[in-house]
Amino acid sequence: MCEFDAEMDATGLACPLPILKAKKAISELRAGQVIKITATDPGSVKDFAAFATQTGNELVSSTEEDGTYTFLIKMLA
Amino acid sequence: MSTRLSGPERRQTILSQAQRLFAEKGFHGVSIDEISRAVSVSPAILYRHFDSKQELYDAVLQQLACQRESYVDTVVNSGTNFEDVLTGMTHVFISSVDENPNLLRIEMQSLLDGNPATSEFFKNRWKSFTDYIEFGLNQSMPYDVPNREITILSAGLMFQGMVREALLQKYLQPEDRLVDVSMSELSHELVRLFLRAIGIEKSRLSRKAVISS
Repeated sequence: MCEFDAEMDATGLACPLPILKAKKAISELRAGQVIKITATDPGSVKDFAAFATQTGNELVSSTEEDGTYTFLIKMLA
Repeated sequence: MSTRLSGPERRQTILSQAQRLFAEKGFHGVSIDEISRAVSVSPAILYRHFDSKQELYDAVLQQLACQRESYVDTVVNSGTNFEDVLTGMTHVFISSVDENPNLLRIEMQSLLDGNPATSEFFKNRWKSFTDYIEFGLNQSMPYDVPNREITILSAGLMFQGMVREALLQKYLQPEDRLVDVSMSELSHELVRLFLRAIGIEKSRLSRKAVISS
């Protein structure tokens, strides 16, 4: 697993709460830093891909294991 | 141009007709024969695409789930305060039903059909609202409010009830007195009344943040 600088747990939350929490979390990061996000909402796969695109950041990876989704997002700006 | 449909095109035609019929009559009210007739194919052809009525129904649902409304735009592009996000979410949700009222019909049918997959799907659509409201109130409501927990739960129910009833009256049993009211005006007003009821004044909420009809 890639290294990360911050971590955010959104398990058990339905959209848009994970996205809302992520928006707040990334506002505290600098360019180049990576945040690891975990969620259980199946819709979060599509949501975090769209989130990365819309916020101009990079979705480094998107994986699933036993119903838990893990995303690594790297700040580009 | 050939009128013969390719496999994927045929499959899509079957899904569209099945969605319409399931929405009108519910899972138990439609037979494979009826869907075949609507698509002008034999049941044998239909069974080549879907093994059973249940499988076809699941596929219809799956397709609706893929078109699931996304709140990402709302959250990324609006403020993060409670009222802006709730207003944005309501707009997105209502627009999805406006674009495809079958969503609402299938939801109503499924409440009585008792199909676990469907109930789960529709429950989750509303859960976005109730979770969001519960989360927001949990953060903002003082801890010494009497019956705090049940108040927060009830607030979620209240909002779900308002929005669902507005959609029902607008799309399933249109009432004369609502004909001239646009869904955007209605939802704007419902959100405003809801916020006032739970003690949040929406003075900061600009009209342009809401729904252009």
